[in-house]
Amino acid sequence: MRKISCADSTALRALSARSIVAAIGAAAQRWTDADFPPRVRATAAIEERLGYTTPVVDYALDRLFGGITAEALAAAIVDELGSLEILDGFVERPGRPAAWARGANAVTVISSDTTIGVAIAPLIFALCAKCAVTVKDRADALVAAFAATLGDERAALQTATDVRAWSGGDDDIEAQTLGGADVVVAFGGNEALRAIRLRCASDAAFVPFGHRASAGYVSAPALAGEAGALAAGIARDALLYDGDGCLSLHLLFVERAPGGGHERFVDVLAGACAANAIEFPPGPRKPARAARIAAYAAAAAFRAANGSGRVMRAPDGAWTIVVEPPEDDLPPFGGGVIPVIFVDTVGDAAAYVERYRLPLQAVGIASIGEAAAMAQAFGAVRVAPLGRLQDPPLAGHHGGRARIADFIRWVDRA
Amino acid sequence: MNEYRAQADALDARIRAAIAAYALDERAFDALACDVFAHQFRWNAAYGAYARSIGVTERALPRTATAIPALPAAAFKDAVLCTVAPERAALRFDTSGTTRARSGRHYLESPVLYEAALLAGFDRAMLADGVPLRYAMLVPDPRDVPHSSLGFMLATIARERGDGNEGWYLHGGGLDVARLTADVARAHADGVAVCVATTAFALVALLDELAAGGRTLPLPPGSRIMETGGFKGRTRFVGRSELYARAAGACALDEAAIVAEYGMTELSSQYYDSPASRRSGQRFKTPPPWLRPIVVDGSGRPVPNGIVGAIRHIDCANRSSVVAIDTEDLGAITPRGLLLLGREEGAALRGCSLDAEDLLRR
Repeated sequence: MRKISCADSTALRALSARSIVAAIGAAAQRWTDADFPPRVRATAAIEERLGYTTPVVDYALDRLFGGITAEALAAAIVDELGSLEILDGFVERPGRPAAWARGANAVTVISSDTTIGVAIAPLIFALCAKCAVTVKDRADALVAAFAATLGDERAALQTATDVRAWSGGDDDIEAQTLGGADVVVAFGGNEALRAIRLRCASDAAFVPFGHRASAGYVSAPALAGEAGALAAGIARDALLYDGDGCLSLHLLFVERAPGGGHERFVDVLAGACAANAIEFPPGPRKPARAARIAAYAAAAAFRAANGSGRVMRAPDGAWTIVVEPPEDDLPPFGGGVIPVIFVDTVGDAAAYVERYRLPLQAVGIASIGEAAAMAQAFGAVRVAPLGRLQDPPLAGHHGGRARIADFIRWVDRA
Repeated sequence: MNEYRAQADALDARIRAAIAAYALDERAFDALACDVFAHQFRWNAAYGAYARSIGVTERALPRTATAIPALPAAAFKDAVLCTVAPERAALRFDTSGTTRARSGRHYLESPVLYEAALLAGFDRAMLADGVPLRYAMLVPDPRDVPHSSLGFMLATIARERGDGNEGWYLHGGGLDVARLTADVARAHADGVAVCVATTAFALVALLDELAAGGRTLPLPPGSRIMETGGFKGRTRFVGRSELYARAAGACALDEAAIVAEYGMTELSSQYYDSPASRRSGQRFKTPPPWLRPIVVDGSGRPVPNGIVGAIRHIDCANRSSVVAIDTEDLGAITPRGLLLLGREEGAALRGCSLDAEDLLRR
């Protein structure tokens, strides 16, 4: 038994999983109201931390909390474990030993590099498993505010949760929260993840979520359909959160179409980007990011002026479309940049991804009928309709991983 | 071609005059920079095409330096940016390609302006006290790396300002500390001060090796260090204040005798730490009169003094290439000079998307 921080799951373990799921769903329901005072405060804090505008943060919180329902939680748990009751005690299973999915004692979630509320999904699934959960929160304290609402629904949920903010490298806190955890969930870049892994106990489960990119693929037949709606979806996928998320569209492959439809689609996309910037105005970028994006866009404009490729850009730099960038010039992955690469086949696009060993999180597609082929070609862990990349379902497998299975230990009665 | 020659020669004469006088007031700088741009607009095809694409015409040429269209340094990877064909260029410097796969090439028609500019800047920044120096180079030998602008610059300085006993101590990535130590001992015996010209990373390597052997390398009185470049692409990073403190201790120097140079392959001129800031914790860069920094925002608009943005360089000595160059280096114009912040300030990602630098490090 390890004891970390002040999270204590004793009371939580006395509750049924079904009641925990219901309480979490009810808390999230309160956060779907944009006028809910904790949400109003969190919105302002998120804007302050990330520089996003209110419409962008509102969209994110609507999607985040709107997706956390008791039904979705239950569905994900039943899918992975067989039932909710298996979290409460032994459950008979035909042809197999009776089993109990007993939650790990201590879980730590490190949400260092996240856009908005990424730590909340592992937090709530760990709570469903009745774990004591410590979360490294960001300065906006969104997770702490939601934990307080969880406590309003069920006090045991709050006492099982310790949300705190600390600076990376704080030896005392990290020795306790990382070294004492049975499961460590960490979001971050390669170096941060390596450092965190080294501080975990040797028998702890480490669940890393590294930085990833996402791409879109528009097939030639799709260009003949509703190009405007398709482009609007792509613009939202690419520009929301200024492309900061692993589910943001960072590259767009467009199949060459007879008659130059692929070229005309870029013009439609530019119109969609302009409209998106009105609906979801981007906030200011930090100078380093702004300089990098400006340099990339200017280099593209220089190439275009000299007969290679094409570039379209908002006057304020909110979005930039770079058509046919040089293959050996990596795009900046976000910052409102949409590199458009014309291809003849899915294989060409897959070869591009393979050439750079791009770790793809998701691929956006125009037709759901293409899903299997795209998943096979790109090695991504999620295939979604274009326009839905930034709206992952709670019951899905973020990062290709189970939602709750990492937080339990199977106890067999045999 | 005669028209080109006449125009180029006239501009070169004006630039050489500014270099010789080490003076150029605001109006004269604007006029010279705009005339250099007009020349490049006509004779540098790729730069001219870009300028035309954003609305510059023969009848609507810029009238101030801030209005000159700037090219990103990356453009040197994509085209020949010279007023003469590459085969007629006297100098070719290759960029390191630190963050991207391809490297760029900076062609210059003649070495005359380049050498005059670098020597005038170096004289003011490093040789103001008139002490004769012997040069110890902790950078790649230009005989090994013939298209290195840094190597060319230091070879020129050693040839024109040295005592004929310069040494190059970095070969094949390895630092010859034993030979450097012997040569420093010889300088002591000869009573000659030494100027160690080094990249920051080579200086760290030297200090690490000295420390591992429990040794120091006291330099003769009047010696100094010119530090250039950073740690990009290296596995180890040492903060500048820590590095200077260690170097001053190991080499028996005052920290003010360590001067940072800031330049780029795509420029002909260099910035140095201002003399007034060399004793302070915060150093500021000073350009020579024919080079001006402009700090711009993400849309390329100049920002007010004191505000951090990307640094644009207007280098009149780049007469045969590109007069205005945008960088991703951050900085701010202050009353004390250019505050150089480098590329990392505020560069941390806000989210979990991939970063190109991170991808390259995988």
